[in-house]
Amino acid sequence: MTATDRYPQTLAPAPDGPPVPPSPVRHPWLVVTTREIMVKLTDKSFVISTVVTLAMIAASVIIGSVVGNRSSDFTVGTSQAEAAVVAEASTEVVTEGGDTLELTEFDSEDALRTAVLDGDVDAGLVAGDDGWVLLGGTEVDTDLAAALTTAVSESVLAANAEAAGTTLDELTAGSTVTTEYLDPDADRGALAFVVGFVFAFLFYMAAIVFGMTIANSVLEEKQNRVVEILATAIPIRQLLYGKVLGNSLLAFAQILLYCVVGLTAVNLTGLAGDIGWILSASGWFIAFFVVGFTALAAVWAVLGSLASRSEDLQSNTGPIITVIMVALFVGLFAEGIWLDVASFVPVVSSVAMPIRMLAGDVAPWQGIVSLALTAVAAYGLLRLGERIYQRAVMQGGTALTWRQALKLQA
Amino acid sequence: MRQTDATLEVRGLTRRFGEKVAVDDVSFTVEPGRMTGFVGANGAGKTSTMRMIMGVLQIHGGDVIWDGRPITPADRSRFGYMPEERGLYPKQGILDQLCYLGQLRGMSRGDAAKEATRLLERFGLADRVKDKLESLSLGNQQRVQITASLLHGPTALILDEPFSGLDPVAVDSMVDLLRDRLRQGVPVLFSSHQLDLVDRLCDSLVVLSDGKVMAAGDANDLRNAGPTRYRIVTAPDAGWLRDVPGVTVLDVDGPRAVLELAEGTREPLLKRAADRGLTEFAPIVPSLSEIYREVTR
Repeated sequence: MTATDRYPQTLAPAPDGPPVPPSPVRHPWLVVTTREIMVKLTDKSFVISTVVTLAMIAASVIIGSVVGNRSSDFTVGTSQAEAAVVAEASTEVVTEGGDTLELTEFDSEDALRTAVLDGDVDAGLVAGDDGWVLLGGTEVDTDLAAALTTAVSESVLAANAEAAGTTLDELTAGSTVTTEYLDPDADRGALAFVVGFVFAFLFYMAAIVFGMTIANSVLEEKQNRVVEILATAIPIRQLLYGKVLGNSLLAFAQILLYCVVGLTAVNLTGLAGDIGWILSASGWFIAFFVVGFTALAAVWAVLGSLASRSEDLQSNTGPIITVIMVALFVGLFAEGIWLDVASFVPVVSSVAMPIRMLAGDVAPWQGIVSLALTAVAAYGLLRLGERIYQRAVMQGGTALTWRQALKLQA
Repeated sequence: MRQTDATLEVRGLTRRFGEKVAVDDVSFTVEPGRMTGFVGANGAGKTSTMRMIMGVLQIHGGDVIWDGRPITPADRSRFGYMPEERGLYPKQGILDQLCYLGQLRGMSRGDAAKEATRLLERFGLADRVKDKLESLSLGNQQRVQITASLLHGPTALILDEPFSGLDPVAVDSMVDLLRDRLRQGVPVLFSSHQLDLVDRLCDSLVVLSDGKVMAAGDANDLRNAGPTRYRIVTAPDAGWLRDVPGVTVLDVDGPRAVLELAEGTREPLLKRAADRGLTEFAPIVPSLSEIYREVTR
């Protein structure tokens, strides 16, 4: 027999009288979840910080691509015909690098030196008796200097070769070095580290921000005794489920939003040619994040219920913040066997496993096993949290320890 | 129109805190449609009893019976409860949080909003519905708290000190709202320190002292339980009454006296008094506060 059979459905209130008592709500956790989400979405500081973070993600990707692709327009002055020829020869090298080179001829070396000093040209090239001189103001761009130096040495080598009765090609035959990548993914290296850093940091941020939200929301109800009214309306563990679910969904949605905006920006700016591998690691990261965060959420809720004032939260959240920091640092610095082990430790694995996946091939079963371990831990922590939360949240007065709370009577 | 007709009964309810027995074998009934006052000194066990009825404090002994069977969480969910330590969300809008509480009790958001608005209007808070709770004065916060307990059309009302902190106008609005519920057959249990208010409002009374029930029952029965006393005025002096057989004089003050009469002495006494300048003769109905003082002495 369901609740609906026993109780009449809610009727509209009579115009001058109170409503007929409604039947008990069927999914109390859903009502709680909805409230948790609505309160957060109408919280100005939360909305603003999310928008600012999104803007920062997009901006950093765009700035990164602009800095990486910036081109320079160089001007080089000469006062000798032979120098002009060599400078002309360097144009090809400079253009290959995406920059441009403009040549200016001066009547005398003095005029050239003045132009360099005044900044009219970026550099001057002068052929001396013992070699060549590159004139610069305070500095010469390293790319430009390298291009000019190469052109000079090629020109001199060619001249010397001719004098020795051979050619430059003969002299340099067989001296080319070609790099062959044995692991074609190796060039991901730097980008993988950056993406891994982003994963680790997002987890760290969200775990603490939304964790504190849960703890504060529990404490608010305890401190203001709303929980006393809520407990008469619905089973108290439904309140816990609703809070954990509501905040996990919010954290999940926020991370998803960050990832989508970040990856779209990366794709649009062409910073990474092929983002398929980042996408798949991101998918794993989000899956791990959800399960890992749920495991932590129950603990955060318990911490909120043990506190009696917000000051208590600052002291009793130390251990959980340590665990989250460990996850962050393991993700950033652990290598080899340590990283492999970490990728199977619940919560820490939320960062470590996606990072392993970024770095190279990890068999999917490893990801699934690690995810399952975290899910088991999440379930265990939720059940334990439920027991403590139900007792502690009704207990006013002083802050409690886990041990005290477990001994309490309901 | 009576929607409910269930009795709330407490049988042998007991609660200990450590060694101390805070509620000791407490039994009473709250009849449908009757306002039952719950009085007792601080620490007498009123709040603990109410919290056990509402299921937020574990019961160490005894039962709470609703409509003839042990109470269930679903029953409690339909009660209206006002805890001693008031509590709502300080940083949330009034209407918003009332809707939430209504939804938790199974109302649709629309119905909850409609009913909350109606009740807030009766408390003169119609223009504050969007305000955050913490921006209201304490008295107005109290009205919101009352609204929270009445919102879902409760089947019973358990109100811990509902009138404390209310001005007389608010007390009247609150009493009006409670009378609406009483007419529908809802049993109401309320505790109060304001004995004059209890005297004025309640139909039944439960007096608690040191965790034990000292008196319980219909208010009029309790008022008439003791030997009836009479007030008599005979000018110029009432001293002569001391010599009348069968009359116990409790107090004399000039022409006024307070008496208790043995059976069959009333008629002869009145005849004699008529010759002695009788101007007033009436039974004294003790106030509930006097009964309270009597039984908890």
